[in-house]
Amino acid sequence: MNVQFKKGVLELCVLVLLNKQDRYGYELVQKISDQIEISEGTVYPLLRRLTKEEYFTTYLKESTEGPSRKYYKLTEKGRRYLDQLLRDWEAFTNGVNQLIKEGVKSD
Amino acid sequence: MTKDQFLSELDKRLKGFSYRERQDILMDYEEHFAIGLAEGKTEEEIAERLGSPSQIAKEMMATYHLEKVDHHLTAGNIIRAVWAVIGLGFFNIVIVLGPFIALASIIISLWAVSVSFTLSPLMFLVGIIIHPNHFLLFDLFSCIALCGIGILIGIGMYYVTKAVALGFIRYLKYNASLVKGGLKRES
Repeated sequence: MNVQFKKGVLELCVLVLLNKQDRYGYELVQKISDQIEISEGTVYPLLRRLTKEEYFTTYLKESTEGPSRKYYKLTEKGRRYLDQLLRDWEAFTNGVNQLIKEGVKSD
Repeated sequence: MTKDQFLSELDKRLKGFSYRERQDILMDYEEHFAIGLAEGKTEEEIAERLGSPSQIAKEMMATYHLEKVDHHLTAGNIIRAVWAVIGLGFFNIVIVLGPFIALASIIISLWAVSVSFTLSPLMFLVGIIIHPNHFLLFDLFSCIALCGIGILIGIGMYYVTKAVALGFIRYLKYNASLVKGGLKRES
């Protein structure tokens, strides 16, 4: 899949993963790379940017195994942004699916 | 690549960030390595999946410079932001650098017009000194008029320059989100 296209989708994936619960960076990376092939390192710049834009807050939590982990928590602003992205995504995929259907039919 | 190699390479590429910010970024990756190792992965495996440190640094840089330009509008900051966005993708050289050079040259030439109009009475004085017999009232009035127009253009250009700079930053941001493949639609 196209690299740039994937990066845009990555933002949506991260937001949607944090919708129900707070997660730490490694967990987010693994959840995403289980489904989509990505360069795992690029998730962190994204997390940083979204944190700076106040879509997330972060906090450190001790872990039973290994060092403490940085958790990301979706803010109210982040939730509104996620809703917007989901609407955009739906309109986008519906449009593309429609085009694909027409394209396949006329072949 | 081992963990130490990865981290020092990334650290090297993050020049320009403050010490605190660099530590903060590196800590995220250290945490990533630590958890991965605890899960039984090797350092090479983890580094391989993370991708190249230089690509990661590029993305960090682009966000960082766009932010800085938001706070302080100086020529140096704008140029650094332009470079950072260009660094995101080769095709940007045309899309970003082209308009930047075009806009900058238009603004510079308008400023030059303003300055030379404003200084035209000086030329008139020089003319009188060289050819004292050639005093023409018409020349005097026209250069005073030019001087006035020059000052007006200068005042106008002050606002135009500011507006263009702000507009260009918005374009850079839009471009960066485009390159990153953002889904955000301009509304």
